[in-house]
Formats: sequence, C-alpha cells, structure tokens
Amino acid sequence: MEKSCTLLIHFDKGTPAIANEIKEALEGNDVPAKIDAMKKAIMLLLNGETLPQLFITIVRYVLPSEDHTVQKLLLLYLEIIEKTDAKGRVLPEMILICQNLRNNLQHPNEYIRGVTLRFLCRLNMTEIVEPLIPSVLQNLEHRHPFIRRNAILAVMSIYKLPQGEQLLVDAPDMIEKVLSTEQDPSAKRNAFLMLFTCAQDRAVNYLLTQVDRVSEWGELLQMVVLELIRKVCRTNRAEKGKYIKIIISLLNAPSTAVIYECASTLVSLSSAPTAIRAAANTYCQLLLSQSDNNVKLIVLDRLNELKSSHRDIMVDLIMDVLRALSSPNLDIQRKTLDIVLELITPRNINEVVLMLKKEVVKTQSGELEKNGEYRQMLIQAIHSCAIKFPEVASTVVHLLMDFLGDNNVASAIDVVIFVREIIETNPKLRVSIITRLLDTFYQIRAARVCSCALWIIGEYCLSLSEVENGIETIKQCLGELPFYSVSEEGEGTDSSKKTPQANSITVSSRRPAILADGTYATQSAASETALSAPTVVQGSLASGNLRSLLLTGDFFLGAVVACTLTKLVLRLQEVQPSKVEVNKATTQTLLIIVSMLQLGQSSVLPHPIDNDSSDRIVLCIRLLCNTGDDIRKIWLQSCRQSFVKMLSEKQMRETEELKSKAQVSHAQPDDLIDFYHLKSRKGMSQLELEDEVQDDLKRATGEFVSDTDDMNKLNRILQLTGFSDPVYAEAYVTVHHYDIVLDITVINRTKETLQNLCLELATMGDLKLVERPQNYTLAPESSKQIKANIKVSSTETGVIFGNIVYETSNVHERTVVVLNDIHIDIMDYISPAVCTDAAFRTMWAEFEWENKVAVNTVIQDEREFLEHIIKSTNMKCLTPVSALDDECGFLAANLYAKSVFGEDALVNLSVEKQTDGKLGGYIRIRSKTQGIALSLGDKITLKQKGGS
Amino acid sequence: MVVLAASVLSKSGKVLVSRQFVDMTRIRIEGLLAAFPKLVGTGKQHTYVETENVRYVYQPIEALYLLLVTNKQSNILEDLETLRLLSKLVPEYCYSLDEEGICKTAFELIFAFDEVICLGHKENVTVAQVKQYCEMESHEEKLHKLVLQSKINETKDVMKRKASEIDKSKIDKNKGDKGGFMSMGLGRIEASFSDMSISSTGSGVGGGSGAGVTTDVDTFSTKSKGRQPSSATAPPKGLGMQLGKSQKTNQFLESLKAEGELIFEDVQPRAGQSRVAAPAPTDPITLTAEEKLNVTLKRDGGISNFDVQGTLSLQILNQDDAHIQVQIETGGNPGILFKTHPNMSKELFANDNILGLKDPSRPFPTGPAGDAAGVGLLKWRMQSADESMVPLTINCWPSVSGNETYVSIEYEASTMFDLRNVVISVPLPALREAPNVRQIDGEWRYDSRNCVLEWSIVLIDNSNRSGSMEFVTPPADSSAFFPISIRFSAASLYSDLKVANIIPLKGGGAPPKFSQRTNLITENYEVV
Repeated sequence: MEKSCTLLIHFDKGTPAIANEIKEALEGNDVPAKIDAMKKAIMLLLNGETLPQLFITIVRYVLPSEDHTVQKLLLLYLEIIEKTDAKGRVLPEMILICQNLRNNLQHPNEYIRGVTLRFLCRLNMTEIVEPLIPSVLQNLEHRHPFIRRNAILAVMSIYKLPQGEQLLVDAPDMIEKVLSTEQDPSAKRNAFLMLFTCAQDRAVNYLLTQVDRVSEWGELLQMVVLELIRKVCRTNRAEKGKYIKIIISLLNAPSTAVIYECASTLVSLSSAPTAIRAAANTYCQLLLSQSDNNVKLIVLDRLNELKSSHRDIMVDLIMDVLRALSSPNLDIQRKTLDIVLELITPRNINEVVLMLKKEVVKTQSGELEKNGEYRQMLIQAIHSCAIKFPEVASTVVHLLMDFLGDNNVASAIDVVIFVREIIETNPKLRVSIITRLLDTFYQIRAARVCSCALWIIGEYCLSLSEVENGIETIKQCLGELPFYSVSEEGEGTDSSKKTPQANSITVSSRRPAILADGTYATQSAASETALSAPTVVQGSLASGNLRSLLLTGDFFLGAVVACTLTKLVLRLQEVQPSKVEVNKATTQTLLIIVSMLQLGQSSVLPHPIDNDSSDRIVLCIRLLCNTGDDIRKIWLQSCRQSFVKMLSEKQMRETEELKSKAQVSHAQPDDLIDFYHLKSRKGMSQLELEDEVQDDLKRATGEFVSDTDDMNKLNRILQLTGFSDPVYAEAYVTVHHYDIVLDITVINRTKETLQNLCLELATMGDLKLVERPQNYTLAPESSKQIKANIKVSSTETGVIFGNIVYETSNVHERTVVVLNDIHIDIMDYISPAVCTDAAFRTMWAEFEWENKVAVNTVIQDEREFLEHIIKSTNMKCLTPVSALDDECGFLAANLYAKSVFGEDALVNLSVEKQTDGKLGGYIRIRSKTQGIALSLGDKITLKQKGGS
Repeated sequence: MVVLAASVLSKSGKVLVSRQFVDMTRIRIEGLLAAFPKLVGTGKQHTYVETENVRYVYQPIEALYLLLVTNKQSNILEDLETLRLLSKLVPEYCYSLDEEGICKTAFELIFAFDEVICLGHKENVTVAQVKQYCEMESHEEKLHKLVLQSKINETKDVMKRKASEIDKSKIDKNKGDKGGFMSMGLGRIEASFSDMSISSTGSGVGGGSGAGVTTDVDTFSTKSKGRQPSSATAPPKGLGMQLGKSQKTNQFLESLKAEGELIFEDVQPRAGQSRVAAPAPTDPITLTAEEKLNVTLKRDGGISNFDVQGTLSLQILNQDDAHIQVQIETGGNPGILFKTHPNMSKELFANDNILGLKDPSRPFPTGPAGDAAGVGLLKWRMQSADESMVPLTINCWPSVSGNETYVSIEYEASTMFDLRNVVISVPLPALREAPNVRQIDGEWRYDSRNCVLEWSIVLIDNSNRSGSMEFVTPPADSSAFFPISIRFSAASLYSDLKVANIIPLKGGGAPPKFSQRTNLITENYEVV
C-alpha cells in the first residue's frame, strides 16, 4: 500500500529554501523564525525532498518549544515524514517523539491536547502509539469537551489498528461508559461512531435502549444512527422492523440533512410502497423547501433513481415533482421535465399538460433572459406529451401556435414542427389548425419557420375556402408587386453602394455552415442570421414578412413560396368549379413567381439568386403553364406520403430505442428473484450483503482497483533495453485514470555489482514524474523491481524517456544505458460519448484546433472505412445508421469522444469513392486543446491505412 | 457522509492548499484535483460536479475555488453547510483572496479546516469557535503558568532566606573563632575555620549550622575521632567551604522537592574523581595494597595487552609500633608472581607468608602522616591473555547514516569487581558543540577543549553490569572515536591479598591496631 497523503500545499519553486538555513532557524530562539522554518521544512517535504538530517534538529530544538503554533506545525511535520524504513518497520528514532507527544497529551493547554489527540488519529504505528495509551485514556475524562471529542476519536483509531484490540482491550467498555454520561453533542457522536465501528452490538444496544429519545438527539448523532441502521440492516435483515420505526420518527427532525439521510436510508432498506412513498414525499418536500440549486439537482437525481425502480409510486407524485419548475434554473427545469415526461399516464396527462401550459404562459410575461430556452424545453415537453397522448393535442396546439412568431427561432421551429406532426396525425384538428395558421402567418419572422408553415399551408389547405384563403394570405405577406421599381432601383443602387460592404462583411465573417450530416454547406440560404442582416429596401415594405425576408436575398424561401403557390393553384383547379377564378389565380401566381425571379436577377440585392432556387421557381412556372395528371399526383399526393413515411419511421426508431432500453434492464438469467408473496415480512427487499457505502468510499479514494487479468498485463509489456546491454530492463505500463504506473524490472546481466544504479526518467507532454529516482545496488545477475508513478493531467500522447545510470567498482565514470521511449497512448484516455447535433456543431464552431488528415487507405468501401476509424479511435458515431445506408459513393459522418479529463474530441469524416475505386477525402479533428487534435491525428494517420 | 478533502484552488486550476481527511494516495488526490478545473463548466447555476466516483462541491471565492471532494453517497445538505462554514473561514484567515494570500496562510487554513472536519465527519462548530480553537488561548494554561511562577518565586524566597541565615551563621562563627584562637595569628584563621566546620560536624558544636550533618561527612571513619586533632591539620583547605555550598543547593532542591517539583539531582562525577586521594591514614599502622591495571583492548574484541602491577605498602605512624611482622594471605593465584623488598626475609615469606625484615631487630621505617606512599613491602605482577580477566569491556559501533554518524557504545563489566567512578572518554572529531546524546545509562559531559565525550557511571555493580550510550555526531570516520580510554577504581584486587595479622616483635601485648586498604586503579586502560 502506498503512503497516504494528508496535505498538499502549493510550493513556489522560485524561492527554494536551503536545508541549512532552515536548520539554523530551527536551532535559534526566535519563535517567528522557527515557525517560518518549520513551514518551509514541511513544504520541502511535500515537494519530495526527504531532509533526513533535519529530524534530529527538530527533535532537539523544536520539540521543547513552548509556542503553540510551533507545536502544531510539528504535528504536521510528524504527519508527513516517513516513519518506517523500507521494510515497513518503524524507524528507531521515532521513539524520540513519544515523550514529546506524551507531554503534549498532558499539556495544561486543552487545545494542544486536542490537536495532539487528533494527530494520533492519523498515526498508525503501534510502536509509537502504545506508550501513549494511558495518557490518551486519561483525556477521556477531561472536563473540556474539545479534548474528550478528540480523545474518543483517538481511542477509535487506536482500536482500529492491526493489534488495536490487544492494546485497548476494554476500549468499547470505556467508550460505552463515556457515551452514557457524555453531554457534548460532538463528543457523543464520536463515541457512538466509535462503538459503531468497533463494537457494533453495543452501539445497537445503546440505540435500542434509547429508542424513544432518538428524535431529541443532536443532528450529528442522528446521522450516525442512520448510518448504523443501514449497516445493521444490511447484515441482519430480519431486524429491519425495529429500525424503520426510528427512521420514521426521524423524518420529522428539524435538520434537513437528517431528513434527507432518512429518505435515502428508507430507500436502501425497503422496497415497500409505504416506505418508498415516504421517501419520495420527503424528497419532494426538500425539493420545494430548499432554495439551493445543488440540493435540488441532487434530490432530482434521487427522484430519478426512484422513478426507474419504483415507477408506480412516483406516478402519484408527479405533480409534486412538477412544482420544481418554479425554480429559475434551466438545469433543474430540464431535469424535472425529464423525470415528469416518463411518469405521464392517461390519468395525469391532463393535469400535467395544464401545468405545462401555465408555465408556457408564464414565460411570456416574465422578462428573464432564459425564458426562450425554457419555453423551447416546455414546447418539446408538450410535444412529446401530445405524441404519447394525441387527445391532449387539441388543448395545446392553439396555445402553442401563438409562439410561431416567437423571437426565439428555436422554439418557433419546435412549435411549427409540432404543428406539422399534429396536423398529420390528428385529422380532426386539421381545419382548426389551418384556420389558425393562416390567421397567424403574418407574425412569423424566421425564414425556416416560414418555409415549414408554407409547406403546411400548401399541403393541408383542402377545401375551396381554405385554398383561396391560403393564396390570399401569401399574397398579402408578399405585399404589393413588383418587389422593386425602376426608381427604387436607382435608390437601391445608391444605398447598395454603402450596404454591400456591410453585407459582404457579415457574409464573409460567417463560418461555413455545417449540415446535419457533417458536410459543409456553401449556400447562405435560409439561415437565421439572414434575419438580422440589414435589409436594403425594408423601409418601404413594413407590410409583409415574406417580402422582407425575400428582400434580404433569401431565395430558398422564394422557391418555397413559389412551390406552395403552385400547389395551392393545382388544388384550386380541383376544388374550384369556376374556370375563370382558377385562371385568375394562376395568372396572379405566375406574376408573383416571375417577379421573384426578376428580383433575383436584378442588381438591387447584393447577390443574385442561386441556381437551385431559380431552377425550382422556373419549374413552378412551367408547371402552372401546362399541368398534367402525373405531375399533379406527385405534387398533391406523393409529398404527403413521404411525410407520413418519415413520421412512421421516426416513430419506429423511437419504439426501437425504447425496446433496446427495455432490454438492458432485463434481469440476467442467474439473477435472484424476489418472490414478493413468499416473503415472511412483506415488502422487505433483498439486500446486497456487500456494503455499498464502503465501496463508494473506496472507489472515491481510489483504493478500488479492479484486478485486471495478468494476460492483459503481459500484453502491454515493453522492452526498454537490448538483450546485449549490461542492464536489461522491461516495463509493464498500467494506465489508471489520472496516473500511469510503470513496473520496471531491471536485470543485471554482468558479473559485477552495479552500484548507485539509478533509473532516470524524463517526460514529454502533459506528464509529470511523482517521485525522485532512488539509487539501488544490484548484485551480479540479480534483478530488481522498480516502480515509477507518473501523473497525467490532460489527454495527450506523452512520451517517457529514460536512462539507466550505474557505477561499477573498476570503472570510475558512470555508465549510461539509454532506454527505449515509452509512448503513452491517447486511446487510454478517451471513451465514446454522445452529444446532440446542435452541441456538436457549436463545439465544432468554437474549437480552435483543427487537424486535417487526408484519407489514405487500402479499404475500398466507405462504410468499412468508417467502421475501421471508429474502431481504431475508440469514438462514437453520431450520425444515425439510417443516414449511412445505401450506396451513393460518398459518406460523411461525425464522431465524438470525451476524455477522462472532460475534454471533447470531435472528428468529421468525409470520404468519396473516386473513379479508380479508391477512397479519397479528409478526416478533420477538432478540439479545444492542441494536444488532442495532434495526438488523435497522429493516431488516425497511423491506423487509417487498414488492410490488416 | 465523508468528506475526502477540502481544498483551495486557483481559477486556473492550481492547487493551493488541500487537506485530506481520509487515507488516499498523493497521486489520487492530485489527479482528482487536476481533473476538477476541466469538469467545472461555466454559466451553470449550480456548484457541484459529479464524476464516476466522486462528487465535487465547490464555491467560487473571487479568483479561487473552495472545493470539497466527497464520495457520491455523501449528504449534500451537510456538505453544503460545511462548505458554507469553510467559505466564511477562508476570508477570516486570508488577507487577500488570491493565490498569494492563500499560499501565505496555507497552514492557518489547514488548522482551521481541521477544526471543521475531523476524519471526514463534520463538526458542529461556528466560525467563532474555530477561531477560538485555533488561537489556543487557554485559561488553564495561564493558570498553570501562574502557579508555576509563584512556586519558583516562593522557592527563590526560601533560598534567599536560607542564604542569609547561613551568611549570618558564618559571621557568628567567625566571631567565635576569632575569640578562641586569637593567639594563633591571622595566617591560621582560615585553616582553623575550615577545621572548625569539620570538627563541628562530629561533635555537634556547630552552632548556627545545624543543618550541616550530611552523609558526605560520615565517610570519615569514626574510629579516627580520638586522634583527629593531630591528623586534622592536613585536610585541604577548600573542603569545608565546599561542603557548606553543597548543603545550600541541597536545601534548595529539597525545598523544591517538597513543593512537588521533579528534580533530578545532578550527580555528575568530576573527571578526576576516580583517583581520589586516599584519605589520610588515621590508624597507627596502615597497610595499602594497590593494583594498577594496564590494559589495551582491541576495538573489535580481544586483548592486546593485559598487565596488573600490585604493591603492598606499609605505613607506620609511630616509632613505637615499628617492630612488627606482617602475616598475609594471598589468593593462591598461580599467575601472580610476588617479589619482596630486598630487605625482607625471603624465607619467611616463602614459608609462612610473613613479611618481616631480614634483620628482625630493625624497625620498619616510620613515615610522616602526609606521605601516603609508605614503605613498599611487596610487589607482584600478573599478565594474562584471558579475556575473562578483563574487568570492563567496551563495544563501540559508529555507523554512518545519512549525514550523521550514530555511535553506540556499550560496556560490559565482569562480575569480579564492583567498579567505582567509571569514566569512559571517547575522543570525538573536532566539534564546536556537544554531540547529541540520544540515550545514556549514566551521565555525560563534553570536554570541548579536548574534544572528548566523557561518560561517567558512579558505580557498576550487579544492578548494571552492562549499559549503553548512543550519540549522534556529524559524519566522521569511525576511527575518529578511538582510542577510548577508561578510568575506574575498585575495592578488591586480582591478587586477593589480605593482611591476616600484625605480629608485634617487641613486647608481647595485643597487636597494635591496623587498618588495611585495598585499591584497584587503572593506569592505562584503552580500547584502540
């Protein structure tokens, strides 16, 4: 077991203290200088120096000091010095400090006694502690609680030592006596803790005799009581009944910490509905009463756990949970919504939706900056509610449609997508939605929302009045024709002289947009930023939203408008009996379309219409001029069909995901099964025998190292020197999260004794050597195991260089053997992770480091190449499988991974099959730090060749 | 419910102070703390981060993070309370809340953290209490110091009083002396004064110095009482004064002891004491058997030289008693060769072990009392290579460790003798100050002029046949600690020579009184 570390202090290497200076100051009589020197000595020790010569000085000159601070620093010093020799035996000189410790334990100053007792808690050398025991015991009866408190803890830690039970045979007896008379809450807690850890039976006994008064005990003691109960019940399930009563009584404790602990204890003890309900109620109560966001979030986590294990009970509490939405914190709101959405049942859906609606309305009035985001979350929540329970859609859709004109584009898009889905799945609502949409269409500001709304209008205006209304609405929004007049053109050129600059600046400063599949979009169509760009001719055109958007140069929207109008006219031809009306509408539409084309080709706008949009618009003109049944069918029916297909596919995907999720939680074939009805005591769950709390603590302190099989270890063996070198060395490299352990075996292959053999290591990259190298003497043909710890602080490929230096008796100079470099693989530090497309794109835009690797591989198939890259980089493919299907000769995918240090690694893979059958393209890696981008790039370059 | 560590980090992620409350390796805690700055996001409204294994609960304080690392099952409510308390404490101890300020007061912070969290459990304390605990202002300690001070003062008073009493009594005595011995002249006054103080102890005419009876004085043979006036002219001048002085200090110590002070009486023997001159003979006939040891031991065991030289000398005070023969008994040790004085009758000695002059009519020479040597009658010599004959062996182990040399010395005394006033002198490399003696059976003294560490043991008898000393010096070659020379004395002899009887040759009557002294001393006893 490695030495534990009790304190860290930042040490400024700029001002190294010399051991001699420290020594001199320690020997002097000046107390402040002494304090200073002690501090320096401790810092040096923490920094890895050993300072063996200082010990005697300290024993001679510091031990007798009367000053309190010096004494306390002395204790810190004793805490961190090496107290054992290489074999784990206590160094003989340590006995020298015993007398001082004993004096301190009998010191008239109660605080000196206290801190010394506390120091004993951290001391685990029986040899040193043993002579001090009588003094420690004396302090148990001191009248000052500060001393008693620490004395009890000291007794506890002595008792816990390997031979502690022999050293202090009657410790439990004594502590029990102390416990019965003790008044100080802290000391009482410590005493109970001591009994709890050392003599559980006695603790239980005491608890049971005092059952009625537990609720009057101090908060600290109650916490330990709960811990005890958890532990006892885990080992002795039959007695649970006795304790549940205590827990219930503690649920009314004044301290919230105790209440929280009670709830978690209840959950861990029992799966009985009453207990779970009580726990859940308690959590909800805390959720509302605590104002601290941290508490709320953690309580929500607990509720989330309860939700997955006891969904039926949580369903009843859904409204209580929902109340947490009143918090202004987005994280809390998101978590709450996540929990709630999974708890919806037909019975509570109405209530929930009502509540959500109220919240949505609230966001309109509030002035909080985060309202937009919150509203978006709420809309998404309502959306998923409506999908699960279509009957609620009617109650919310109209309310939501008010938000189509929302300034927050994201939430408006959510709304419009929601409407699009509802109108298809809920035919009954079609008429009312269309009417409403036509009414509110003029409010829509964003181009993307507009185009979606236009599609709805084009697709779902069925009756004559609706179609006519639709055409009318669009016309209104486009405003008076033409879009620009000749005179305006003159003005326009004037103004365009100043504005193009501004425009071009805004355009050029924008980064290339990335489409969802990861490819770059070179067009500037239909993006939100266009909305904020200054429009040339807006002043004269306050009327239509479509007009203003068009005048900013958004011809993609123009194409959508043209298509919608075409679609509406085609439908009009079916429903309008009067040929005259139809022709009138057709010509008007043609006029609009033509003027849009004209606008696109004019010089009013900074850039002309793009080819795609103009093609589409021209197609519309052709279609209106000569219609045919085939085309009519495509325009009026196939569109809708493919939308239906998309919806059903989406649904299928969701159900599949659900299914796969459900599969995970299925029991293993050899899992224990609780037969609820066969159990003697109803509702008592099977408890794991192993102590979770202990495990949790062990994991946290890093003691919990899972044993990897040796085979694995041998795979990572590295030869460091050649077989013909006088010293042969090889290393196992074990990579933990934050550190790398090198287990180096050094073998002396000569017939001479190697003296002062030293393994010198140096690192490159974000690696740091923890210890200084030590010198060894190696007998002829013997071997030695050397361990070296290396600290890692970021994900990066690191290299460890090294030398072995030694002396032999006949050669006076030191001989150096250079070691093979050890490369630390970045793959050990990154693991596949998931993030949303939006998050990926923002990170992609933000991150500064990009590494572009040209594809060079023998693999011929795009999919196979992707798989190969995923496998060799240990990343997760974010692009859904469905998007990667089919043969089209090119492929683009996004990969994502996260390092243990929380750094993100983004990879975009774009490959194309070239005419000669080879793959070409690029792999781009982006990250916040240079290290990851470089290391990952190297890795990919190395591995991409594939083939073997 | 366990706080693993409380730390203060700078915003850039530098660990300024961290105090761990449970056992964890350095690499682990450093890893955890290094990961933290990367995990903490910006723009979040909560202040905790959870990882796979631990939870960080933090609070930004200006350019710093105050951070608690807990396990994941820890009670967040309690941890937040702890954090709140700590965040109040940090500004209390740090003058400026930045890196420099924290580094300057790192230790104070650690002490304060210790008061709030013990063994990972929260303590129920307030800021005021923590400050109080850290100030360590103890009423009891003050009280204790007051009591101690008053005791010292009291003792000083007693001392002063006693001193003045003694002074007074001296003056009184001086007056008395002057009155009684006026005719003896000024030159004798001092001598007679010391004379007086000695005689007063025996006869109880001490007047003012009633407390003067000490055990030291009892060593004077009571037999000598009658003849004291004649022999008492010899004692060294300073002796009386010295006794008086030691009385005073004794009194002081006694009174301190009576008041409950623990005082180790300083009984460090003087360097020259092993050769204390034999008290002047007071019997009419004195026989002195003395053996001198010349021993050279090797440092790694074994004898290179062992040689005992003995003499028996006779001292007769009065001419009247000079016609005698001395009957002796020798121990019968075959290794010892006796040699009589040329004037002695060899036959008498060889046959009857009687020492007498060849011419029985001649008297033995009589010597003045001051001549301690007397007349040599017999000499003997013993040489041996038998290690068991060595009365005291020394085992000295200097070992270099780091920048120091640890020297352990051990003695082992044979059961033959009870050794007195043992002084073991170890030469040291030139040192300015005394070496650090870590453990010792007996007393030590450092003679800085000669660079000799003297280890003295007053008496080695069955209770302490072996003993050891350990001291530390700056690094030195092991040969620097040799040769070790040893001095001691003992009351018994190798030869076991005894005077059985004195046979008077003139006039029958009872044999005259005689006293016999035996003395074994070291002349040259070294470990090289």
